[in-house]
Amino acid sequence: MRLYWEVARRALQRQLAYRTENLAGLVTNIFFGYLRAAVLLAVYAATTNVGGYDAQAAVTYAWITQAMIMIVALWGWWDIELTIRTGDVISDLSKPFSYVGFWLAREMGRAAYFVVFRAVPVLLAGQVMFGLHWPSSPGAWLAAGVSMLLAVVVSFGWRFLLNVSAFWTTDARGLGMVANAAVMFLGGFVVPIRYFPDWLQPVVLGLPFASIIQTPADLFVERIQGSAVPALLVGQLAWAAVLLGLAQLTTLLATRRVVIQGG
Amino acid sequence: MEPTLLYARLVGAQLRGQMQYKVSFLLALLGSFLSCVTEFGAVLVLFSRIPLLAGWSLAEVALLYGMSGICFAVAELFAAALDNFQVHIVQGSFDRVLVRPRGALFQVISEDFALRRVGRIGQAVLVMLLAVRLLSIDWTLEKGVLLAVALVSGTVIYFAIFVLGATFCFWTVQAKEATHVFTYGGDGLASYPLDIYRGSVRRFFTFVVPLAFVSYEPALYLLGRQDPLGLPDSGRLFSPVAALIMAALARYGWQLGVRHYQSTGT
Repeated sequence: MRLYWEVARRALQRQLAYRTENLAGLVTNIFFGYLRAAVLLAVYAATTNVGGYDAQAAVTYAWITQAMIMIVALWGWWDIELTIRTGDVISDLSKPFSYVGFWLAREMGRAAYFVVFRAVPVLLAGQVMFGLHWPSSPGAWLAAGVSMLLAVVVSFGWRFLLNVSAFWTTDARGLGMVANAAVMFLGGFVVPIRYFPDWLQPVVLGLPFASIIQTPADLFVERIQGSAVPALLVGQLAWAAVLLGLAQLTTLLATRRVVIQGG
Repeated sequence: MEPTLLYARLVGAQLRGQMQYKVSFLLALLGSFLSCVTEFGAVLVLFSRIPLLAGWSLAEVALLYGMSGICFAVAELFAAALDNFQVHIVQGSFDRVLVRPRGALFQVISEDFALRRVGRIGQAVLVMLLAVRLLSIDWTLEKGVLLAVALVSGTVIYFAIFVLGATFCFWTVQAKEATHVFTYGGDGLASYPLDIYRGSVRRFFTFVVPLAFVSYEPALYLLGRQDPLGLPDSGRLFSPVAALIMAALARYGWQLGVRHYQSTGT
């Protein structure tokens, strides 16, 4: 356990080196946050409730999802694919630790960095410009926090699978671009899933992508509260378990393949 | 004529290279098409819940979205290498560009022709045609010419922004991502009626970075709407002037940047 903790800590420290990059990304995230919030706010000019959100909840939805972009690496993440292409993956696979666990720890460290240095400033900017809805009780904060953590794991599992597909195809990134478009839309980033036509919502909410964006955002703006919260978290947990299981399985298959090729 | 021929040859070689990876190319095409489709899907989802957005109908917003989308995607087709320009500075390969007997900007632009983004153009054209179909615009020659001029001007404006974004790299490569505020962010902004943004933002994108003239101002003219910003009516015909000013600024800025450039020496 100590090992994974150190891996996560190093991943966080690595990010600390990119101060100017983070600042530039922050400016961009905030600008887009403003655009997205302005569009959603305009929706509420003539109505007070769409999809169960009032104007403030909708604006907060835009900002919290904007704050999560880097935490769940929404624009894509190809760190593992790169090691497969360069061959460095061999050294990672031959080390005496869980390969999936190693990358999960790295991703946790990276995510922790972006919580502090990206998400918090983005939310503060939203607060200054629009005035956001903040979780109203310690319980709501806890639910949103746990949900974010699970969102990172689910998103990691999904990204891991896309990355290791590079063991079998040279087109992993192209595949990833298509998959990314799906995550952004079906996860509720482009527009909340609860704005979708009523018949479509249960289908889309049943996919793993909702666990990456929609669920933590809904808990943060308290669109879902009270007795419905545990079921949502359990759903996320289930997807996290399924995807991590698949990640473990593909690692086993891929390892066999690497051995056959002789590395 | 000679530069055009050279450009065609360089780009041709580029494309042959890209086509060696057919599946990659097709997937990238599909990916860029899908992300645009979902973007407009969001507009459709919003309008399934409300009849008007800040007083604009779905077809009217679609017109803005289509106009900005076409201009942005066409500009991006030519400017893809500019959006990646920091690599030249970091790796020091810009030195090589400077010693060749052709303009530096010309060479950089010739490096990548983003045919993979053509899906985006197709999608934007479809949305605009749909908008024109749904709207009952009383087409006159004047309006047709205005639309054509606006599309060309808008493309020039976006292209100039890409050039300025690349120019930014001569001073810092680390903050490159911030230029996305004006490229991708600009397209996002100009896809909706400017009425939804607060006054300071509208003024900034009218008088400082003239994105209002990509889609909003020409669309006001086509739709016969009042300008809530209070610009005189002639302001709606200002697109080509805005494009010329931006092009001149980009040219001047780029020259300044090249002069400022100091090789990394690697």
